Amino acid sequence: MDLSRRGMMKAQAAAAAAMAANVTLPAGAQNIPLGEELRLKWDKAPCRFCGTGCGVMVGVKDGRVVATHGDMRAEVNRGLNCVKGYFLSKIMYGSDRLTQPMMRMRNGRFDKEGDLQPVSWDQAFDTMAAHWKKVLKEKGPEAVGMFGSGQWTLWEGYAASKLMRAGFRSNNLDPNARHCMASAAVSFIRTFGMDEPMGCYDDFENADAFVLWGSNMAEMHPILWTRVTDRRLSAEHVRIHTLSTYEHRTTDLSDAAVIFRPGSDLAIMNYIANHIIRTGAVNREFVERHVNFRMANTDIGYGLRPDNVLEQRAQHANDAQVSQPSDFEAYARLVSDYTLDRAHELSGVPKPQLEALAKLYADPKTKVMSLWTMGFNQHVRGVWANHMVYNLHLLTGKIAEPGNSPFSLTGQPSACGTAREVGTFSHRLPADMQVANPEHRKHAEHLWKLPEGLLPGKVGFHAVEQDRMLKDGKLNAYWIMCNNNLQTAPNTNNETYPGYRNPQNLIVCSDPYPTVTGMAADIVLPTAMWVEKEGAYGNAERRTHFWHQLVNAPGEARSDLWQLMEFSKRFTTDEVWPAEILAKAPAYRGKTLFEVLFRNGQVDRFPLSDIAAGYENRESKEYGFYVQKGLFEEYASFGRGHGHDLAPFDAYHEARGLRWPVVNGQETRWRYREGYDPYVEKGSGLQFYGNPDKRANIMGAPYEPPAEMPDQDYDLWLVTGRVLEHWHSGTMTLRVPELYKAFPGAVLFMHPEDAQKRGLRRGQEVKIASRRGEIRSRVETRGRNKVPRGVVFVPFFDASQLINKVTLDATDPISKQTDFKKCAVKVVAASVQAAAPQSAEPDPRGGPR
Amino acid sequence: MSGASKTSPPMGGGGAAAPRRPGLIRRLWAWFWGLRLVRVATSPATGFSLAFLTLGGFIAGVVFWGGFNTALEATNRTEFCIGCHEMRSNVFEELQGTIHFTNRSGVRAGCPDCHVPHEWTRKIARKMQASKEVWGHIFGSIDTRDKFLDLRRHLAESEWARMKANDSLECRNCHSAVSMDVSKQNPRAAAAHEKYLFTGERTCIDCHKGIAHRLPDMTGVPGWQ
Amino acid sequence: MRPRLLLGAMAGMACLAAGTLLAQDAPRLRGPEPFTVEQPAPPMQRAITNDVRVRRNYPDQPPLIPHSIEGYALDLHANKCMSCHARRFTEQSQAPMISVTHYQDREGNTLGGLAPRRYSCLACHVPQTEARPLVENRFVDMDALTEPERQPGGRSNR
Repeated sequence: MDLSRRGMMKAQAAAAAAMAANVTLPAGAQNIPLGEELRLKWDKAPCRFCGTGCGVMVGVKDGRVVATHGDMRAEVNRGLNCVKGYFLSKIMYGSDRLTQPMMRMRNGRFDKEGDLQPVSWDQAFDTMAAHWKKVLKEKGPEAVGMFGSGQWTLWEGYAASKLMRAGFRSNNLDPNARHCMASAAVSFIRTFGMDEPMGCYDDFENADAFVLWGSNMAEMHPILWTRVTDRRLSAEHVRIHTLSTYEHRTTDLSDAAVIFRPGSDLAIMNYIANHIIRTGAVNREFVERHVNFRMANTDIGYGLRPDNVLEQRAQHANDAQVSQPSDFEAYARLVSDYTLDRAHELSGVPKPQLEALAKLYADPKTKVMSLWTMGFNQHVRGVWANHMVYNLHLLTGKIAEPGNSPFSLTGQPSACGTAREVGTFSHRLPADMQVANPEHRKHAEHLWKLPEGLLPGKVGFHAVEQDRMLKDGKLNAYWIMCNNNLQTAPNTNNETYPGYRNPQNLIVCSDPYPTVTGMAADIVLPTAMWVEKEGAYGNAERRTHFWHQLVNAPGEARSDLWQLMEFSKRFTTDEVWPAEILAKAPAYRGKTLFEVLFRNGQVDRFPLSDIAAGYENRESKEYGFYVQKGLFEEYASFGRGHGHDLAPFDAYHEARGLRWPVVNGQETRWRYREGYDPYVEKGSGLQFYGNPDKRANIMGAPYEPPAEMPDQDYDLWLVTGRVLEHWHSGTMTLRVPELYKAFPGAVLFMHPEDAQKRGLRRGQEVKIASRRGEIRSRVETRGRNKVPRGVVFVPFFDASQLINKVTLDATDPISKQTDFKKCAVKVVAASVQAAAPQSAEPDPRGGPR
Repeated sequence: MSGASKTSPPMGGGGAAAPRRPGLIRRLWAWFWGLRLVRVATSPATGFSLAFLTLGGFIAGVVFWGGFNTALEATNRTEFCIGCHEMRSNVFEELQGTIHFTNRSGVRAGCPDCHVPHEWTRKIARKMQASKEVWGHIFGSIDTRDKFLDLRRHLAESEWARMKANDSLECRNCHSAVSMDVSKQNPRAAAAHEKYLFTGERTCIDCHKGIAHRLPDMTGVPGWQ
Repeated sequence: MRPRLLLGAMAGMACLAAGTLLAQDAPRLRGPEPFTVEQPAPPMQRAITNDVRVRRNYPDQPPLIPHSIEGYALDLHANKCMSCHARRFTEQSQAPMISVTHYQDREGNTLGGLAPRRYSCLACHVPQTEARPLVENRFVDMDALTEPERQPGGRSNR
């Protein structure tokens, strides 16, 4: 360090002296660098952040990322990035990167009550393995779990799924995508029998109207929003209607800002369905040929703990997912309750706005693209909400063709790829298969070359349940990878943190940076991120996109993939598999999990020479085979020939991503539609072939109220969410100075009159309290979000303002996704005792009290 | 209203009727002066002292004037303005998020500060104009957000024109150019003020549109594109 | 030049290895210790309004906004940014013109004005506050790699 600094200073001194003496320095030190000096090595990669999946070009010099820009050749973004994407170059270089494993130690050995201290990988893995083995032996597979990520690469999720389900025989594997789009994923399967959108981003350039249901695209999907605004400003007839519980940057650029009471979107959609039926706008032919009707079970509870009075009172809390076959007349009767008057009363939306919206869907000549994100999905009736928007598109036949598109946007870069397609949910296997289906398990065992009967059929604990089980001592060995759940889970003070500190439990957290979660864990593993490893993501339009490893991770940081595979070496089949299975398949005896899962003749099939020249690949070099290619090709065998076809591995390193199914080298833009989708039979025009009868389901469901609503004591709705400049819990973006300085802390967005009523002013410190906990924040009565009276909004990126201490752990009972958008809070001045009572003195210059 | 033109009015038929029946006005005039009450009122006082009359007249004047002014002032408060729903849920709602509503020093500009001239005759003129707004309120010409948005350009243009015509008088009631310390302004603002404001080349409203409310469609407005 | 670079890299590694884990503004990034403690809310930060251009980290980085944009319209009706940064207004405003890339549509055609896809200025350009970064960022400017002696640490301001 000294040496280099001295060297640097010497050079500076020389330059300064030369300048003073007006001397020309030798060519090597001239002002303008030339030739080789200037050369950067450019490679493509998908952006590390949201589910949009923008392509970026990454410039590398001397082993460091020195520049990034939007990839002109990427279809998704054609050269554009949002501000986060433009600063990707800096996300890896925060000075507090973790470079060594850390473990809680006291007197030189592991101690849950000790302090985090640097240890070797071996020490960390040994401690973990010993605990895993103990728990597996004493309590069985249901006591080990893993919380993964929609930010995992495809192969990381795939390796994790194999290790958990086939290795440890536990389905307690869930991704943070559970908090993000489980409602969308579940509804896709319930409606179409297959996950993920039928349309694609090309719909943006073909739609006549955009309806946004609970999505602030201008901030959360900025580049897709550029495609929407491009269309709106380029074609005069195009209109944007945005439904939300408050105004924001998206409503600023919308023709109609439809502000409704939290939860009442259900009533609005049923009203629109009613309008379509009443005005004869139903596409009869389409409905008769392509649609079935079903009725959902109602009064289904709120996914709270079973002893909660709301669950005990609910009639169908335990069979919320069940639905009954029905018909058009019954559905029409159900929605006939939702008149314009009723929808207006429930939602508070002016009737002309509701009518205009309904006409948009009803008009056969208007091509409608419906878009939604967390407003729909983080909803105690999120699955119903998804159904209801499909109902509108199915009633009118506006689906699966350019511009007519119900489109679920995803939050994470590989929510679709890793969480859904690979199947890292507690109930899923690759290619839309389910763990509860014996045929599917058998198929997986066959493809994985594993003994029959090995895979467990019981659905594992979902995200919120994992936290509850950790707290209750039923889940004892827990690995958190590539997420920051202690900051992002609901009701953390009561339901998440206690489980982490439960003395029976060992909590491991893998992350590039020290996070809230890492600081509460017992072992923290330093992780390689983004282009420090070879990776693949799957975006919201079914696009699979690869990248090469471009730089090395600092210190001892290693990819999640390496960590998973390395950990698998520490277990033998005899230790973790039941004797009866091994008795039937003695060939597997005495082998390590690494050998049976990853050295199985498939994953290790491709030699290192297959790695493109000029790229580092740490995992592969260590194991002696092309790990990523082997994992991908094995994974791809699940979907090929079944409507989930992926292209050969190498094709993805060339293309800017391809949209599956990729058949004969051709990607598919509109599924289910003849002429676009090779799986549709000739002459049929359209087939929802995910379901055996090739029909989609219209699901009838009513409006039901949220789990908690404002009352006298807690008189405000709390809505939580994100901001443009920060990615989720801020782990990466808070470490980029430009992004941090653009939005340096969370604030409480509040209506000025609500503030005045409480004697509060902009910038004042307040307590936000719910029945679960309280945090402090600052009042913001201006700025990008304009909330109506009675609603407050707080973003969750700020670790010093942990709003999820306040939120409610109510979930959609079907999808198990948390409702982060609706709970009741009160807001009071933080210094309420100290300050003089200065509440509502009337202002001399006017303004209501 | 329309009925009035068909049937001839009993009296006070207005200027249109006068040239055709000159006798009517004369007859009415005579009748008026012939009234007893009028005769008493116009003859010199006999039972009251001059002092009483002077003082009484003065007090009555004060009471009348005070009442008028109180009424005027009462209607010159933000509370009055936002008593109507169209003001409250459109323009006032938007004002609340701006620097003119809350700021560092707590000086607030309410509706009349910017929209009613402080000088008396202009104020009265503006108040008379405002009767049109009462009319609009009663007949619901802006009773929905959409109607307001449709009219926003028209409403904004009339305010811009008024402020342009009076050299942004209401801005200058608080922000006078002579009392500006440009060293306390950010460089960009200081340069613009020196170049355009102090030279009189532009007036405040030329550049500072949409500072207290959102803007209408700005297509064709100079300085916008 | 090479050996110096190597030394620099070694120094960097030494710093990383030393572990800066517990030296930073911990609660802002890692939450309170212990988790259950209630923390005061950090103060809201003032906007930087000095109009001083900030050097870009690399050529394709969108420039930061060195002035306040509070209350500026950016909606379907009006785009206040363009009142200064549009080509035709730059002479009177002396503001930088939107870059040539902003004239290109999705297909790469050059248009006669701001491309509609570039209308949402704030998706890429953000203003800054006076907040002090919570941790140092060790990103190295490409100039520091091509010309290390003129760019100690890559931090000089133009």
